[in-house]
Amino acid sequence: MKHSRVVVTGIGVVTPIGTGREHFWTNLLAGRSGIGPVRSFDTSAYSVHRGAEVHDFEAENYLSNLDAAHLGRASQFAIAAARLALADANVEIASLDLERAGVSMGTTSGEPREVERFDDLFVSKNLERVGPEFLALYPSHVIAAHIARELQFGGINIMIPTACAAGNYAIAHAFDVLRAGRASLMLAGGSDSFSRITYTGFAQLGAIAPEVCQPFDRCRKGMIPGEGAGVLVLEPLSSALKRGARIYAEISGYGLSCDAHHMTAAHPNGEGAVRAMKQALEQSGTAREEVGYISAHGTGTPTNDRLETLAVKRLFGDAAYRVPISSIKSMLGHTMGAASAIEAAACALAVYHDRIPPTINLREPDPECDLDYVPNHAREHTVRVAMNNAYAFGGNNASLILKKCEEPQKGTKSTNKI
Amino acid sequence: MRNRVVITGAGVVSSLGDSSSSLQLSLCSGRRAVKPVELFSTAGLGCPLGGEIPCFDAQKYLGRRNLRPLDRTSRLVASAAQLALNDSGWSGSILNQEEVGLVLGTMFCSVHTISEFDRRALEVGPAYASPMDFSNTVINAAAGQTAIIHNLRGINSTISTGITSGLQAIAYATEVIRSGRARAILAGGADEMCFESFYGFDRAGLLCRSEHSAGDFPIPFDKRRNGFALGEGAALLMLEDAHFARERGAHTLAEITGHGCGYDCSQGEDEESAVNSIALSVRRAINDASAGPHEIDCLSASANGSHAGDRHEAKGVFAGLNGQTRKLPVTAIKSMLGETLGASGPMQAIALLETMRDGVLPGINGLEQVEDDFAFDMISSDNREIDLETALVNSAGFDGHCCSLVLARCNEN
Repeated sequence: MKHSRVVVTGIGVVTPIGTGREHFWTNLLAGRSGIGPVRSFDTSAYSVHRGAEVHDFEAENYLSNLDAAHLGRASQFAIAAARLALADANVEIASLDLERAGVSMGTTSGEPREVERFDDLFVSKNLERVGPEFLALYPSHVIAAHIARELQFGGINIMIPTACAAGNYAIAHAFDVLRAGRASLMLAGGSDSFSRITYTGFAQLGAIAPEVCQPFDRCRKGMIPGEGAGVLVLEPLSSALKRGARIYAEISGYGLSCDAHHMTAAHPNGEGAVRAMKQALEQSGTAREEVGYISAHGTGTPTNDRLETLAVKRLFGDAAYRVPISSIKSMLGHTMGAASAIEAAACALAVYHDRIPPTINLREPDPECDLDYVPNHAREHTVRVAMNNAYAFGGNNASLILKKCEEPQKGTKSTNKI
Repeated sequence: MRNRVVITGAGVVSSLGDSSSSLQLSLCSGRRAVKPVELFSTAGLGCPLGGEIPCFDAQKYLGRRNLRPLDRTSRLVASAAQLALNDSGWSGSILNQEEVGLVLGTMFCSVHTISEFDRRALEVGPAYASPMDFSNTVINAAAGQTAIIHNLRGINSTISTGITSGLQAIAYATEVIRSGRARAILAGGADEMCFESFYGFDRAGLLCRSEHSAGDFPIPFDKRRNGFALGEGAALLMLEDAHFARERGAHTLAEITGHGCGYDCSQGEDEESAVNSIALSVRRAINDASAGPHEIDCLSASANGSHAGDRHEAKGVFAGLNGQTRKLPVTAIKSMLGETLGASGPMQAIALLETMRDGVLPGINGLEQVEDDFAFDMISSDNREIDLETALVNSAGFDGHCCSLVLARCNEN
């Protein structure tokens, strides 16, 4: 059986620099930062105080079937991103075979605010106020389930909580599901809400930057925790062509590996990262020289950016110096399980528009980070192939390849049955 | 052509034994792990019962090494992984040459670790929260820790779909091997017994209630059922590409010939929708296995004593197998183990591997009166002798997820 080719036809994002594809992309190219003082909780007991939060988000605008009062924040973001992605893809839900419409999502923490509420009530000896809502709202798999319930999707429904690489894992899985013909449309991405637990943990690791996120800069001081969601509409190329959909990019391969080295620190040679990138290129039948953009994991911590640079050099050799690489976390902060999904959206848009978003706050070059990080200004550049890299706690590495879809494209027209 | 996927070993750490054979022996002698919980106080809760692993000590499986960084879930998974590697003949030196993967299904990983980390920060200040504990607050912590202990450098993924997590993880790994992306993956699931998740289930009103005879509950498919009991454990299968397994001379226990899943958007509120999604899952699995309903020799049901859940499963399997369930032998091992969440589906599969070997399907402990309109005639509290060639394993959650797996005996061994 010949595998289906899989394409991205819709993009939905909720991010600290804007909600919806157009707003997000405009701000990304303009180099706007979404980082500011943390509003979600009181940070006075912490030594750091900044985060990348989503402000002015109105869940009700995206809900037709579920009630916002019965949804955690990560589920709300996820549903909004899913609705935006479907609208962007010009897909009418009524036209879908719902038993073959699925959801594959990633997350780091699921719905951490629900367990934080449990803990607040536990500590204040009011645990009896925790009711049946805890089980209904907390477990991480509810995020994918809530999307399905809002949209009435009865196909594959899966949550892949592989921490900060989860978005890539979820998209990779959806790609496999479509290739194997086990669904006709997949919503795939990631979602996380700003979390006290995550903030505390990264603060204790000394990983949070006091002011700005400045990946690859010599003076970089760490990451900035963030929140958001990114969801892509993925479908077989044949169905996209048949309904005359706009195709942003084709997903052509991925690589997953595990360092099996340390829970929170990357392998000192970037060994697992190299294997993931290599597998991804091999599966997609792409030569290293064809890669026109690498979306870096680029958290802004001293170690990540150095090792990531090393891994790219180990795989690409001299060609590493000719590939534009950028970290949009410089603008968005680290949106955790959503990060690589939002970055995959940025890759799809880079491939579609031939424009590369910058790494902002990059002023002083670091001798150990000496590649082309597209500093401070977006760039016009032909991107036939983009590589999206993500790394996570647990030594989980994921690389995804997005390509220009080389098929005669008809312009966008009205929605057809998939 | 897709690659065939075989099971070459199993590792299980359960409340009823830490090997496939000891688990099967317990199940067939009607032992019940479900007892008053001792790991934490259940004072003030509606249900005092759970199936915990008594005196679990990971050093028994992992030797004398520093296990301090691992929480209970991670220790359960790392122990089950060691057992599965031993059972399938993977030594440390071969593991250095081959990138073996790990796909773990878990509903919570450890909500206890997450909650404790947060509570410490609340009680004594964020500056006293432990960075080491923080690394275990991610839901992929157990998979990451286990990969480090056993040097598993292949695909490392964590799957969360509630009760069906473990079976879904096996389905995920099966697809990865079928597509040629990996040759060997440990796949299965785990969840630990802890206060935080227990409290959540209790407050949701899903756990069994017993006024007088605690020993009689939970009773899957029985008229008197009134909820499930929580359990815990870890269960992993070593899945390998059939050709690769044969080349390395591995013993094959069974083949995974099909899987399928469905999702009920009504989350059990609407019976028709719940039944349809389970039927869809079953149908997809047997179609994937190129099998017909008449070829299924037995069902290992997800039924755990839940009032609505067991009904939906009985009706869903009936519909999915085109009404051919009257003569189908059925077991439901959660009557003895309790609901082990992420571990449950893989534990059902492991028990069936033993049934394939010894021909005994465990009875459903405590079952006296099957609900009248459940179309099962071959169901009772007694063990049953069967010649098991092809089995259906079902996993169906209380909140809409369902997943089914078809296992077939490998006759060439």
